Amino acid sequence: MHESVLAASSFSLQLNFLSPLIDGIANGAAYGLLGLGLVLLYKSNRIFNFAQGEFATVGAIATYVFYSGTGVLPKLPFFLAAVIGLLAATGVAMVTERLVIRPMFDRAKVILVVGTVGVALLLIGIEGLLPYPKTQSLPEISDVLKVQPFVTRIDNVAILDQDVAKVVMLALLALGAFFFFRYTRTGTAILAVSQDATAARVVGISVERISLISWAIAGLLGGVAGILLAVPPAGTVTPGAFTGTTLTVAFAAAVLGGMTSLPGAFVGGILLGLIEAFANADSSFVPLLSRVQNGQAELAVFLVLLVVLMFRPRGLLGQEA
Amino acid sequence: MSVLEVRDLTIRFGGLTAIDGLNLKVDEWEIVGLMGPNGAGKTTAFNCITGFYKPSRGQVLYKSDDVTKLPPHRKAALGIGRTFQNVGMVKSETVLENLLTAQHTKTGYGALQAVAGSGAVRAREKELVARAEAILELLGLGEFRDRRLGALSYGTLKLLELGCALATDPDLLLLDEPSSGMGPEESHQLGDRLLALRKELGVTMLLIEHHVPLVAAVCDYVYVLNFGKLLAEGDPDHVRNHPEVVAAYLGGEAPEALAETELPDDQQELAEATS
Amino acid sequence: MSVSTSSVTATLDLSGQARAQRRFGVRGLVALPLLAFVVLLPAHSDTFGHTAAYAAIFVMVGLSMNVLTGYTGQISLGHQAFVGLGALTAANVVNTGTTAADPFMFGVGIVLSAVTAGVAALLLGAVALRIRGLYLALVTLVFGSVFADAIFTLPSLNGQDAGVKAYRPTPFASEYRYYLFALAMVVVCYYIDVSVRRTKVGRGLVALRDNELVASAFGVNVLGYKLLGFTISGAMAGLAGGVFAFWTQQFSDKDFTAAAGFNMALTFVVMVVVGGLANRGGVMAAAVFFALVSPISPMMGSIAQHTGWLNFYNDHKFYISNVIGAGLLLQTVILNPGGLGQVIRPFARWFAGHPFTLHDPDGDSGVGAMEGSSVRA
Repeated sequence: MHESVLAASSFSLQLNFLSPLIDGIANGAAYGLLGLGLVLLYKSNRIFNFAQGEFATVGAIATYVFYSGTGVLPKLPFFLAAVIGLLAATGVAMVTERLVIRPMFDRAKVILVVGTVGVALLLIGIEGLLPYPKTQSLPEISDVLKVQPFVTRIDNVAILDQDVAKVVMLALLALGAFFFFRYTRTGTAILAVSQDATAARVVGISVERISLISWAIAGLLGGVAGILLAVPPAGTVTPGAFTGTTLTVAFAAAVLGGMTSLPGAFVGGILLGLIEAFANADSSFVPLLSRVQNGQAELAVFLVLLVVLMFRPRGLLGQEA
Repeated sequence: MSVLEVRDLTIRFGGLTAIDGLNLKVDEWEIVGLMGPNGAGKTTAFNCITGFYKPSRGQVLYKSDDVTKLPPHRKAALGIGRTFQNVGMVKSETVLENLLTAQHTKTGYGALQAVAGSGAVRAREKELVARAEAILELLGLGEFRDRRLGALSYGTLKLLELGCALATDPDLLLLDEPSSGMGPEESHQLGDRLLALRKELGVTMLLIEHHVPLVAAVCDYVYVLNFGKLLAEGDPDHVRNHPEVVAAYLGGEAPEALAETELPDDQQELAEATS
Repeated sequence: MSVSTSSVTATLDLSGQARAQRRFGVRGLVALPLLAFVVLLPAHSDTFGHTAAYAAIFVMVGLSMNVLTGYTGQISLGHQAFVGLGALTAANVVNTGTTAADPFMFGVGIVLSAVTAGVAALLLGAVALRIRGLYLALVTLVFGSVFADAIFTLPSLNGQDAGVKAYRPTPFASEYRYYLFALAMVVVCYYIDVSVRRTKVGRGLVALRDNELVASAFGVNVLGYKLLGFTISGAMAGLAGGVFAFWTQQFSDKDFTAAAGFNMALTFVVMVVVGGLANRGGVMAAAVFFALVSPISPMMGSIAQHTGWLNFYNDHKFYISNVIGAGLLLQTVILNPGGLGQVIRPFARWFAGHPFTLHDPDGDSGVGAMEGSSVRA
């Protein structure tokens, strides 16, 4: 009798456990990418970039309109459309740096942050005024690759290949970032500027150029995150799609890394993705949350953020103040 | 009666002992100097006395009460006024507004009363303005009443900061390098002014100062710190000729040359240390 | 020690007062039509009255943001939560169903809307006080969206899809009468803002905004005053929410959650920056402007209708107000840090009894007020 109880419970455990686990890692990967962009800009400019979510939205929308051939645009293969989407996100980030951040380089940081809020709001508005169908999603990767939608099944739990794709993408980008910051001249220069801008200037690093490059990379990372997030069932290419909750979670991920740790933002993103997925799957996951009808996941993220900021203000993996 | 007594004051930051077992005493009506080379721990001592740092060991007695653990604003309310090394005032306000802000604990009305607004509050505000103007007259700064701080010279700012400290209505005034940024003539005037303030207002003072002629002119007693420890104490002449003091200064720099700041950005460091 | 006040004589600027009296005639000529405009124009029609009351609500929120961001130097990206909480409280206190609210309960609802939001702000402040600078802005952002999503969607509080009805009491039933009530509430907030700024409370807040160490050396209880700033600001926003509930005559969570709530929060930030931080007049003017171009504003709708753009407008009204707000915000922070307040200040100074001059001797409000702000990451 004892054994049969155990067997039954382990079956349901897998059902309740595996699916949110994969969901969580997959979404967390995208949060991690956005968080990585936030950390990068914090390192290079000492600001919080509230427009980061919109870099993602721009990437997703540009990919969508070229993939679907909206209006007069040509209908392109998905990967070409995705490249255009990434270029668009990178471009918007660079324009932001040039027109908003650069003129205010020496102003109080809090004013620059207000500036990024303005950029976010402006991008949402412009996206909204553009004529394209606003409730669509990007295609599932299985459609793009014309394969079966499921990659594999583990004990009857389907694992979507796009979720696997997200995780693989994250792993590749994490590796890429590691090599970039460790071994390339530009990467190490960015870190040097973040540690001591004056000293970096003295040894001949152009702080302005580093700033522009940092924004370009942040835009690129945002674009990748946007394309990963704008897939069904939850993702859409709605204007402002990734500035509300998504950006909040990305910030929380960055804060878990103390705003300064690149690996910290990755790990934080995945951790929060998991928390969110488990809170959504089963609200009794955290006793307090079961009383709340809506937004359990956000509440859980908020609590994590608050606790970290109050008790570990330098984050779980943050290195510097 | 001693206004201020510091007993066995010790503070450590990580492995560094910034002040090690400092004892000092300031009696009523006295002007006491605190000297020492850069990094000796003078400003740190001020920050312990005024409550910005929590000492690791030791006591701060103010008028015989133990005030070691009180937060800065409580100490200010008790009558411990201070100035900062590189001018501590409210940058975005005018001269008059700064003097009003400095009278925060002397307003005689509560915050709720202020928000609700009443004739009594308005009447008190008029008195505060009059008192601020009186302080400006006293320091000869009347013409700057409605100027913003950004428009003033460093010397004027230092003097105005002294005025703000006076506006807090202190019984004990801690001045951190009041003559910095002043030429010999100005610092001579400052000395006369400090003596006059004591005479007119009966305020007791403890000052960090490098300018030896000024110390000699105004201080009744001098303590010299080096590497966080008390090196010498006594009247100015005694201390000036004390061999260890001379060695300490010559080992570093001559006292007159120490006009620059001890910790270049003391407020920034404070902010980090107290956060 | 005491500085004798009798030693000060004749330093009062008597000539300034005399000048003020002499010029009152001219000022009156300008002020009276302005006053008449504010009080009488909304009587023109229900649409005007309805729009004007909405503008009054925005002005209250603007004053609330002015206390928090302008004086205390803290950015709130979640102020819609306080407004929403006020609206939720007021609506649940009266919960009128289909009848008009009892005037007494209406009053209770309005008062409690300020109280609950003030308490919520106090609690948030108490929790967040350990969190410094820009991180606090982040916490307010998350608080705004999370609080709204979690509390406002509770079915026992939001009346589900129908919303909680909050019909106005009979004396304020008409749009114009209700506008006059809202205007009275604006006067209350204005009075509080002025009282704060003119007394030790405002000086303490500004001092801690600039430099917490100096503030505490002056005897300001930095933690206590931060909480006070939060509480006053939250209570004002809650009051605005209470007035909002009776303006729409119901509480609906959809006004404050998800994209609508986020939009609202950012609009509040935009209007306080564009108006000019710590500049009461500028913030109020900007609040009126953003109320008029807001997606909920009846005015834009009727303009669109008359010009034949109604369908386009209805589909895009959020985005239109976004672009206007963001454009003005960026224009302000990059090119014109003083904001609207800087532009209107010569006139405001003239009204206050100073000679008219375009040269501004004490222009240190607007974004400049943040320049020295101790708020940093």
